[in-house]
Order: sequence, then C-alpha cells, then structure tokens
Amino acid sequence: MASQDILIIGGGPAGLEAAKGVADLGYKAILVEKRDRLGGTPDEAQYAALTPDLRPADEALKDMIDPVVNHPNVEVHYNTLVTGAEGELGNFTIKAVQLGKEVSFQAGAVLVCTGFQHFDPGRETQKYGYYEHDDVITLVDAEKMLKAHKFVRPSTGEPPKRVCFIQCVGSRDRQIGNEYCSKVCCGIASKQAIEIRQLLPDCKVYIFYIDMRMYGYWENEIYWPAQEKYKVNYIKGIATEIIKKGDRLLVKGEDTTLRRPMEVPMDVVILSVGMEPSSGTREMAKIFGLKQNKYGFIETEGGPLDTVTTNVPGVFAVGACTGPADLEDTVSAAGLAVMKAIAAVRKAEPATA
Amino acid sequence: MPVDKNQIIEKDKVVVEGIELTAEWNRMFAQRTVSNYDDSLMDQLTSIEGAESLGWCYQCGQCVPVCPVDAVGGDYGPRKIYRKVQQGINLLEDPDLWKCTTCSNCLRVCPKTVNMVEIMPALRGEAVMEGLDVPEELQEAFENTFEYGNPLGESQRKRADWVKETGSNVPIMKEIKRPVDVLWFVECYPSYHARGKEASAALARILNALGVDFGILGTEEKCSCDSQRLAGEQGLFEEFAEANIKTLGKYKFNKILVTDPHALNALKKEYPKYGGEYEVVHYTTFLAPMINQLEFKKTLNYKVTFHDPCYLGRHNGEYEAPRQILQALPGVELIEMGRCRQDSYCCGGGGGGMWLDGFMADHVQERLSENRVREAVETGAEVLAVCCPYEVSRFEDAVKSTGNEGKLIVRDIAELIVEAMG
Repeated sequence: MASQDILIIGGGPAGLEAAKGVADLGYKAILVEKRDRLGGTPDEAQYAALTPDLRPADEALKDMIDPVVNHPNVEVHYNTLVTGAEGELGNFTIKAVQLGKEVSFQAGAVLVCTGFQHFDPGRETQKYGYYEHDDVITLVDAEKMLKAHKFVRPSTGEPPKRVCFIQCVGSRDRQIGNEYCSKVCCGIASKQAIEIRQLLPDCKVYIFYIDMRMYGYWENEIYWPAQEKYKVNYIKGIATEIIKKGDRLLVKGEDTTLRRPMEVPMDVVILSVGMEPSSGTREMAKIFGLKQNKYGFIETEGGPLDTVTTNVPGVFAVGACTGPADLEDTVSAAGLAVMKAIAAVRKAEPATA
Repeated sequence: MPVDKNQIIEKDKVVVEGIELTAEWNRMFAQRTVSNYDDSLMDQLTSIEGAESLGWCYQCGQCVPVCPVDAVGGDYGPRKIYRKVQQGINLLEDPDLWKCTTCSNCLRVCPKTVNMVEIMPALRGEAVMEGLDVPEELQEAFENTFEYGNPLGESQRKRADWVKETGSNVPIMKEIKRPVDVLWFVECYPSYHARGKEASAALARILNALGVDFGILGTEEKCSCDSQRLAGEQGLFEEFAEANIKTLGKYKFNKILVTDPHALNALKKEYPKYGGEYEVVHYTTFLAPMINQLEFKKTLNYKVTFHDPCYLGRHNGEYEAPRQILQALPGVELIEMGRCRQDSYCCGGGGGGMWLDGFMADHVQERLSENRVREAVETGAEVLAVCCPYEVSRFEDAVKSTGNEGKLIVRDIAELIVEAMG
C-alpha cells in the first residue's frame, strides 16, 4: 500500500532539520537513529561551540532536537540500524534492527542523513606521529578539551604555552586519496584558536596553512577577528614533520613567504583533520543502491543545481553524506530534500481532495 | 652593517662545473632557519596607539608592488614588515623603521586597511621616546626645528626675507594690521630654500595679478611640522601646532592658502584636533578656477608631465586642479606618466624622507626621486611640473644624478604660470 510517510535515516543536524520540515508540512516523519540519542556527530564528538558563531553546541542542538521529539508528526526510533530496503518511490519497506530485534517501516520516500566521519590521521600515514606523540592531537580531541573548558598538554596535564594547527590533514591529498577540500577545517581551526586564546591568554597560537579557505562570512566572522582581535599567527606553509625534542615537539616545515626552512618548538600540535564519508553513509549507499563518488560520498544527480537527488527515485541524500559540508550547507540541503521528497510522494499518489 | 652591494651577486643563471644554477640557488649566502616566532614583539608593537593595524596583514602582497621604497630595491614593503615582526625582528631598532615615506599608496590598495600612515609615526614616536637610534640627519632636522622653527636651521628672523630678496609685493599681517581675505601660510622650504623662494615669488606675482587680498605671517610663522610628526616627533608637532594656532588666532582672514601639501595636511586634518579649524586650500586648488582671469603673453611650447604630490593627491584628494592649470597654459602639452594620480609614485621626501637621503642611500639602489625622474624622461616630456616645495630640489638633484641634464627641467606650477604671463 502506498505511503506518503518520509523515513529519515540519521538524527544529526541534517536528519533533525529534515524531520522538523516534514512534520511542519503536515506529513509524518519517521526518524531512525542508531545511537540512543539525537544530535549526530556534533553530539557524539562533543563539539564545544559551533562554527562560525561560537554558539554552544549543546544549546544549538537542543533547539534542533526539542521541536522534533515534541512534534506529534514525528516518530523517533532510537538504537535502530537500517539493514535492508525494498520497494520503490511511494512504497518502500525498510528493514532495521532495534536492540537485537528485527523491525520494519513503510515509507513513500527516504532521506539519507548519515553524515561524515573525521579523517583518522594515523590511517594512511604516520607523517605527523598522531599515534606516537601524546601532544599531537586532532581538531576532535581539541574540541573535547574545549568543551570541558580545560585545554592542556595531554602528556603533562599542564596548560600549553605554544600551540599550532596544521591545516589540510587528510584533505587535498592525492596520496591519501582525498583530493577534495574538507571546507570547514580552516574555519574550525580558527574558531578553536580563538577559544584557546580566550581560555589561555598567555598561550601563543599558530596556524600553518596552504591557503586559508574561509568562505563567505567566515572570512570576517572568524578569520579576521582571530588575527586582529585574538592575535592568532597565520603562517603560510604547512609543516611536514613533527619530531620529539626534549619534552616538546619540534615542528618542521617551510615558511613560504619568507622562503626559509622553519623548525619551531610547540607544546601541542592540532591536526586539522578533514571529512570522510561515515560508515553509515557507505552502508546506506550499498543498501539503497546509491551511486557513490570515488571518495565514497553519495553522488547526487544534477551537479551544482541539485544537491539532494540520488540515482534512486524516492531516495534523497542530505548534507555531509554527499561531501564536505558545513552546517549552513546541511540545513539548507535538508529543506530542499524535504520539498523534493514530499513533491515526489504526492506525485506518486496524488492526494484526493 | 650596511650591505656591500658589490659583494652580493645573484645572477639569472650561473653554470658551476657544468651544472646550471638558477638565481634562487646562486646567492652567496646561506638561508637561515626560522627557529622561533616570537610574537611577544608583535603584541608589544600593536599595543602602541596608532600601530594596532600592523597585526592585521594577511600577506596578500598587494602593497609591495606599489611601495615606492621596495621599487628602488629597498627590499621593504608593508607585508614584509609584518613578517619580519612576526619573525621576531624588532622594528623599533631596525633600519626599516625609517624607510617609509608615508606616501599612503599601500593603504590605498590594502584590503585589510593596514595603515602605515598611522603605524609609522606611532612606532617612530616610540623609538624617539625610548631614546633608541634615530638616524643622525633626521635628528638634526628635529633639533633645527626645535631650535630655529624650521628644519633647515635657518634664522627665524629671516623667514620673510625672501619677500625683499625677490622684490615681491607681499603684505605681512603684523604690519598691515587689517583683516585679509586670504592668509598665505608659506611654510619653510618656500621661505628659505633657493628654489622654494623662486616659486614663492612666482606665486606672489600671480596673487597680485589676480588682485587677491592676501597677507603672510612673516617671522611669526613656524613650521607646520607635519613631516616631523610623521617621522616620529609628535611632541614637537603639538608644540608647533599650538604656537601657529595662537598666532593665527590674532588675525582675521577667510581662508588659508598653502604652498606646501604637507602644510595642507597638517592645517586641514591635524590642527582641528588642537582647536585650529580653518578653511585651507592648496594654491593649485585656489588658482584653478581663476586661471583664465590671468593674461598670458607667452606661448610655452613645452611637453609637460606632472608629478602628483602624495600629500596633495592621495592624502587630500586633489588631482584635477594642477592639471586644469597646466592645460590652461598656452602651448603646454600635458603627458601623463604611467604612475599618476591615485597611483602616483613618491618623490621620497615625505614622512621624514626629506631628511634621510644619506641614510636611505645605504639601503636602496637608487633614490626614489631618481626612479621618478627616469619615468618622467621616458614620457618624452621636457618639463617635470611639480607643486610641492620638497620636489623641486629633489627632482633637480635627481635629473643631474641620472644624467638627464638638458633633457628635463623641473618647474613649480607657479613658475610655469609666471613664465606664460611673460
């Protein structure tokens, strides 16, 4: 029997925005989430503050979650992992496992909102010694400390005096296989640099970059204040290697504007790791037969003019499961996907007057 | 230690034992490794009032090609200053502190509004106050100003002597004891320098020919001190501004006419901060609307190129008046240099540069004025027209040192007007 319900897979920012949109339009949203709580990666990875406005992540997520869980048109299923799907636009049957129990859902269209995972800097190469040096951490590790309002050298537990970020780790790299720019890391590094300077005014912060990619308002909302107000030092040329020297780290690279080799001591090095498709995204692509690009992200049809439609009618992909995306991209895509999904189910079975 | 230019050689291409080395690799010195970024220095310098924007540079490099000092091999440029400070080089004790002429061409193109016109006076002021090394010749100009009221070290009593020497008819306020329409602030170089006096005599003749009701302060006038301020002597500037404002307060006039764009800048933008609010006009701005009232008896038959003074053009927005005047002179064909108007090159005299020629010689391959004179000669012009008193002497020296004597003459616009009047 045909259905006009919309099944949404993933309860992160994309899925939350989509569920709210579907429900607000008077349709039923079935939101399935594999964890026992909503919020997605920003919640799971314990983001402290969002980019670019530095709004506390908890507060922002609560504002996204509350209208969803309290909406009469939304059904939320926690601890639910989608395992299979059959049917077509207007009539999908989705199988899932819920705490060891098999369940199934009927829906007219499906929105895949399964997001990304952070690049693991030890996976492909040990260039920066992430698993070797305690004081080499990632944006994700730093975010956790910032959330706890305690930023320290992991090796000593003491506040650092000198911290640097190394940009483009796991992005823009043919050898690693991630040739794309992860889009958000320049902004997030600058945001964290501001937070470190706020927390530890005596700590010097450096950002080693190839080119700063601060799209649109991120330029004046994050980059300029980081430099002008918080005195973050931007150095063009990213570091190549990190060597242990005494109890500190020696960061080696080239300062390309001075055209000189550079070897500077640091207490903490933060690797600005990029985005990769999450395991959930890869799995859903397989289950629904969605085309993936060479990096594993779900490919959308229609190039830059359609960021949500997949090769399977009735299945739409939203946000970071389609490629690097910031929050603005993600919530915008969610709105678009809701519109297209509802248009599709209405067309499949025109509503009777 | 000054660099011995003969010892450092970087050739386009060198072949050593059959191996070709590009310029990048055939320098005769090794690269130092950057081992620290001591940003305490950046913090210290950008905490000085006026120097805050030094820390805003994002290294786009747009300032370097328009920096007049970099263009003469000065290896300078605001972007480079930022990086040097970021690298831990103390600008307060570095020769780079004294190279900027405050020409403002970098600020014109800077997307981050890094303002060298404010940064340099602030940092130089700090160096002066801390008793750090100030180039000797600049120190001398400061001392002359303090002692004699002008940077040339001439007697204050002789400030109006040019009037008699040139046989000009110039009323002096103290003597005429009546209000005037126009108070002419003559300034130092037009009062004392040989070529400045000639231009002053020319301007006096023009004002009289036009029937302008004017007067000068004579020996009561003191240096406007704008260049001393920009070179780091804020204290001296304030003292002189207050003295001039007090003197001006004694007399009644409708507007102030200035010969010197640096005085224009001081009187128009700085004196109001100390209570001196006046209508101030540069002589070219004043004369341009009246130029057709003059009777020209002589056709000049000159190809003329015009050098925009930094403090008339970029700093105070006047580009048209000097050109209107030149084009009104019979027989003048105006040819523009490539770098003109907003992008005009600097003569090297601003921001204290007037008193730093010896110092600069150790740091650049040629003087800024020489660079400019070569450009003027390339246009095919026979006359380089100027309207800032720093420029006549600077460019005349440069014409000689670049071997262009007989090819190019330097004339103040007032002199050209008088020549056409016959």
